[in-house]
Amino acid sequence: MLPESSVPDRRTFLTTAGAVALSATAFGQFSTRSRRDEIRVGLVGCGGRGTGAAVNALNADPAVRLVALGDWFPDRIERALAGLMEDAGPPATGPDGKPTSAAPSIAERVDVPPERRFVGQDAIDRVLACDIDIVILATSPGFRPAHMEKAVAAGKHMFVEKPVAVDTPGLIRVRKACEAAAAKQLVVVSGLCWRYDYGMRATFDAVHQGGIGTMRAMQCSYLTGSLWHHGRKPEWSEADYQIRNWLYFNWLSGDHLNEQAIHSLDKLLWARQDQPPAKVTAMGGRQVRTDPKYGHIYDHFSAVYVWPDGVKGFAWCRQMDGCKGDVSDHLFGSEGVCDVFKHTIRGAREWNYTGPSNNMYQTEWDELVAAVRAGKTINNGDYMVKSTMMAIMGRMAAYTGQEVTWQQAWESQENLFPASFADADMKVAPVAMPGITKFV
Amino acid sequence: MATAAFAHRVLPVHQSHEAPLRVGLIGCGGRGTGAAAQALSTAGPVELVAMADLFAERLQGSLRSLRDPEQGVHERVRVDPEHIFTGFDAAEKLIASDVDVVLLATPPHFRAQHFASAVAAGKHVFLEKPVAVDGHGVRMALAAAELARQKKLSVVCGLQRHYQNGYRATMQRIKDGAIGELTAARCAWNTGFLWHKERKADWSDMEWQVRNWLYFTWLSGDHIVEQHVHNIDVINWAKGGHPVKACGMGGRQVRTDPKFGNIFDHHAVRFEYADGMWMFSECRQIEGCQNDVSEHLVGTRGRAHMDSERWTIEGQESWTHQGPNNNPYQTEHDELFASIREGRALNDGVMVAESTLTAIMGRMATYSGREVTWQEALESPLHPSTPASYVFGPLANYPVAVPGAKA
Repeated sequence: MLPESSVPDRRTFLTTAGAVALSATAFGQFSTRSRRDEIRVGLVGCGGRGTGAAVNALNADPAVRLVALGDWFPDRIERALAGLMEDAGPPATGPDGKPTSAAPSIAERVDVPPERRFVGQDAIDRVLACDIDIVILATSPGFRPAHMEKAVAAGKHMFVEKPVAVDTPGLIRVRKACEAAAAKQLVVVSGLCWRYDYGMRATFDAVHQGGIGTMRAMQCSYLTGSLWHHGRKPEWSEADYQIRNWLYFNWLSGDHLNEQAIHSLDKLLWARQDQPPAKVTAMGGRQVRTDPKYGHIYDHFSAVYVWPDGVKGFAWCRQMDGCKGDVSDHLFGSEGVCDVFKHTIRGAREWNYTGPSNNMYQTEWDELVAAVRAGKTINNGDYMVKSTMMAIMGRMAAYTGQEVTWQQAWESQENLFPASFADADMKVAPVAMPGITKFV
Repeated sequence: MATAAFAHRVLPVHQSHEAPLRVGLIGCGGRGTGAAAQALSTAGPVELVAMADLFAERLQGSLRSLRDPEQGVHERVRVDPEHIFTGFDAAEKLIASDVDVVLLATPPHFRAQHFASAVAAGKHVFLEKPVAVDGHGVRMALAAAELARQKKLSVVCGLQRHYQNGYRATMQRIKDGAIGELTAARCAWNTGFLWHKERKADWSDMEWQVRNWLYFTWLSGDHIVEQHVHNIDVINWAKGGHPVKACGMGGRQVRTDPKFGNIFDHHAVRFEYADGMWMFSECRQIEGCQNDVSEHLVGTRGRAHMDSERWTIEGQESWTHQGPNNNPYQTEHDELFASIREGRALNDGVMVAESTLTAIMGRMATYSGREVTWQEALESPLHPSTPASYVFGPLANYPVAVPGAKA
């Protein structure tokens, strides 16, 4: 392998001549291609989603190599690697979209020797210091602002999992990082995957083109069961314990309205052509998942977002076993109703999507890698920041019982990130009590 | 000072030679006492002749209040000692007495039985909301409403928004198409904490629960039924019918002390009507939060917003109710007594029963976490924590609901 310092101009090459050169390369000749043709990817956060994103990256283009992994825990790295090596995933495809046995398999393109497996708090820095073109940011959301800043500073294109922050100070850092990324023409693709689903895109296009007339009201629900818990081991520090079980701690997840239901909130935002709501009121609680091992997050939320034109969006989420499940979004217009998931409009202008379906997770990467190759910029920063803020302000409204405006939410001083990872700084904040918990 | 608003009440002058309508009050709390004062403030000869309550001191307090000249109705209070009934059988004794009209204002658990007995005995009825706390009670109320119709008895209920000018004017406009077809609805009763009576050493569990009836589902139906029924009812009114199913969530997040029984402190319910329209309902009783008591309808051509003090329509035909405003609590009695005198029976029985069952269906959804159908709610039995008998003694069975728990 070439020393890192020998390829300082590789990005320039990739984003200009590279696109032409690679697309003209027959796959049968791939193995003879120059090292400089590669698209080198680093992954920070080797959980299920991060590993899945790495597989998507490897499937996006036979030139992609996964070259560095970072995680808080060594076992997560080893598990991710084992999974990547064993599960080669679907066969690599050529430029015509057809599988090609000549293209190197995923396993062949996982090139992460022990010296490029980085464990601990500085894993992000060490992955970014490697010779990579794209970094996958897939740790718990609480780390995302710092990681994004570092990735932009290092000049890497990035795939950024949702949500991108858990509090306003963090989100402001992400917003600035997105602006800096745009100035540097770095690609920023968000893990809000529905934005990359063909049926969804067509559905929102139809709505934006007046398919339901004027928007009158919106609904989204993310009602699902409870999620995993990894228990506690005596050798773990408190920080280790919380990071292993990050879903249940706000400094890491921002609560499930942020961590999971953001997908639904993002569709409300998308429906409004990315114009944010003016305010939100919400209620919620912790009715069933009350054991202290579940940290301090709620198990249900009901939020009402109000846009400046008076349109209300009714947003629900629940993580409770044995209850009704419902993941759906509906848009009610003056001339019709859109069932977003079914890709249908009924009313004055009946419509349903008849185009192809796609794997949206793969499309995220196909478009990301294509942009990198073509020297084009994708920057999903605007909507991923706004959707994250919708979730944060909804949580604030539910926790405090107060109405929270978009403006107030952006002025929030609440910083959930711990002062240090020492046990003394890892005390679990009490469960929020509406009417008692104050807006900060 | 609390009665100052009534100090200058001028009773209508009797215009007829009819015998006075004889009124009996069942349930002598604040609402019952208020209803009695309003009944006695209607036109035409009317007298309060009988009172019933579980607790003698509640009844006497109510009687003192009504006899106070400050209330302005004391001349029409003619309750002799033989018509003062207390205890668990007080209501049945009053209904069996020589009264024309009964005012039913006990905690909701008892209402359906009182309604059935009153109609069976041929009495006109003022019926506080809600009319029941479970499907068992609603079925009884629906049967009583039908019997009242057959007997041409008047039944007016305490869903007073139906008797308020602003609501009536708004509903007329909605039905005339001012906001187009309804596409979604939202209603809320988000408020603070309510009263609580600290337990006394000599109170049995039964006495403690009945005195703090708000907090026990078998007595109040939970606040989604006891209080939020008002807002749910307005959406049913606009829709001209009741929802067919409900999905909801809720919990007991702040008001968790056992002294607050087993009701939730917040509920959020999505009700679905037969045509697929959704009503998003919220109710919360938590101190220090953003309050909101309102009903909101979204139509294809506009929106209507109602909140008991202000009624507006925005859209192609924007409008604000300009008055005159009325006291709907008085109007409901004015219209009840006028209907009795004129022999044209009013009957709110089905309306209040259906709105009550809508709220019950919502509670069943938030308690269980499951989707609950109208039929399931209608067929539901007595609430499981209902005592086996009405005696002052120990009660133990009042668990807080756990959504998702196996039945």
